[in-house]
Amino acid sequence: MAPGLDALKHIVVLMMENRSFDHMLGSLKATNPLIDGLDGTQSNPDTQGNQVFVQPLAEFQSQLDPDPDHAFPAVDQQIFAGDQSAERVATMKGFVQSYYQQQQDLAHSQKIMYYFSADKLPVLTALANNFVVFNRWFASIPGPTLCNRAFAHYGTSFGQVGMSVFYPQGKSIYERLQDGGRTAKLYYFDQQSSSLEVVNLLQHQPQLFATYDQFLADCKLGRLSDYSFIEPNYSDHDNDDGAQLASDQHPDHNVQEGELFIASVYNAIRANPELWASTALLVVYDEHGGIFDHVPPPPCTPDGYSAGPTSTGLNYTFEFNRLGVRVPAILISPWVPKGGVVGTDRVFEHASIPATVTNHFIGSYTASTKREQNAQTFLDLLSLDAMRTDSVFFNT
Amino acid sequence: MNTVPNRTKHKAQGPRSMLAKERIPRLAGDVSYITIPNPSSSTMNSNRPVSSLIRSQLQHLQHAESARLPKEKRDGRRPEDIGTEAEAASYIAKITNLLHPQGRKRSRSRPPS
Repeated sequence: MAPGLDALKHIVVLMMENRSFDHMLGSLKATNPLIDGLDGTQSNPDTQGNQVFVQPLAEFQSQLDPDPDHAFPAVDQQIFAGDQSAERVATMKGFVQSYYQQQQDLAHSQKIMYYFSADKLPVLTALANNFVVFNRWFASIPGPTLCNRAFAHYGTSFGQVGMSVFYPQGKSIYERLQDGGRTAKLYYFDQQSSSLEVVNLLQHQPQLFATYDQFLADCKLGRLSDYSFIEPNYSDHDNDDGAQLASDQHPDHNVQEGELFIASVYNAIRANPELWASTALLVVYDEHGGIFDHVPPPPCTPDGYSAGPTSTGLNYTFEFNRLGVRVPAILISPWVPKGGVVGTDRVFEHASIPATVTNHFIGSYTASTKREQNAQTFLDLLSLDAMRTDSVFFNT
Repeated sequence: MNTVPNRTKHKAQGPRSMLAKERIPRLAGDVSYITIPNPSSSTMNSNRPVSSLIRSQLQHLQHAESARLPKEKRDGRRPEDIGTEAEAASYIAKITNLLHPQGRKRSRSRPPS
């Protein structure tokens, strides 16, 4: 076994909200050509047929208001540019036209092509430059948040492609670990923000949950569980500590506050030397939020479910046989190579999370879906023979 | 090079506690210290209309509230009547406290005003 895997005691996943790979990391292609980002030539037609090219003009807030549509029919349009024929091809040419439909404002619709310059995102940029970027991590479903988050918790969405309440028929990764004598924790930011998608677990398995303050304390005291899943703050609100800005980066929440939150999670692990040596942190986004990405989503292993026209809002049944739009994902550990990039030949999605955690902490688990069983795992990326002594640390 | 920035008297809580200069540990190895900006305080907008995401969260929590409490003890607010993030946070905190009281923030001692 690689020494990094031998040392690995904790896996931490931070799942942010609604930003595409190109929007957040696309600019890094300029300094690292291995990253499959943007070179300025990527474009989409607007509703008048003019080509709208990508530009590094993304702002922290107020630009993507209203929230770009990312329900199943809208994402279908973004990927296939409105083509619903049987022979259609994923062109990634329908983003501007999709956003235009929300306001019929031509100039505003073009902002869906904007991306962040690297200097505006010092945290993500530093983490990408110092650790490992995935070139091909996709949302699990071409749809909205909750069905995608379900894949991170269960390895499937149980046939859901939307946001409705549903009660899973399978065991979450947290219950699997618990049953296997391992430990797991879901950390939500505070009670005002709470947890998304796993309300059924909050209701029936509250011992699996804690707040973000507890995560900070657990890191400091070396009490982190085998597996931790962290949720950012989903709203602007007040708590006993005062005003709290949303840190999830969901449009139109402030992206800089999300950067601070990512840095806070990283620092909490990095500040404890023993924890740093024995932890792998994955920062990943749940879905693209309707924002442009240039890589067509590939097909995937179906998980035995289907969603009919009533669920998809379109005139076809979705067989869960292709992925959603590409999202940012970075693996952080002192055991991964600096500036590493996972090649385009390896495709990951959110089912890779329970697959990886199960594989490392439990081993064989036959009750997972076929989709999860076929998902790529990522701990082989902890490939170094010796732990790195270089790293970064953030402060304000 | 391992250079530790000057320490200040700035005090922070929550996520910012991990970023405040006085909390920076002396780390072994070659550590690059990166200063990141704070968002402007004017960006706070708890009156922002709730997104479809928070609207779904409200519905899920109301579902849990209905399962947990008899009708006469429920909050009574309907998700569709909640308009702003502040209003949503208030309801979400109430139901989350019902489901997970361990998540209640301990009151911090504050100096008299």
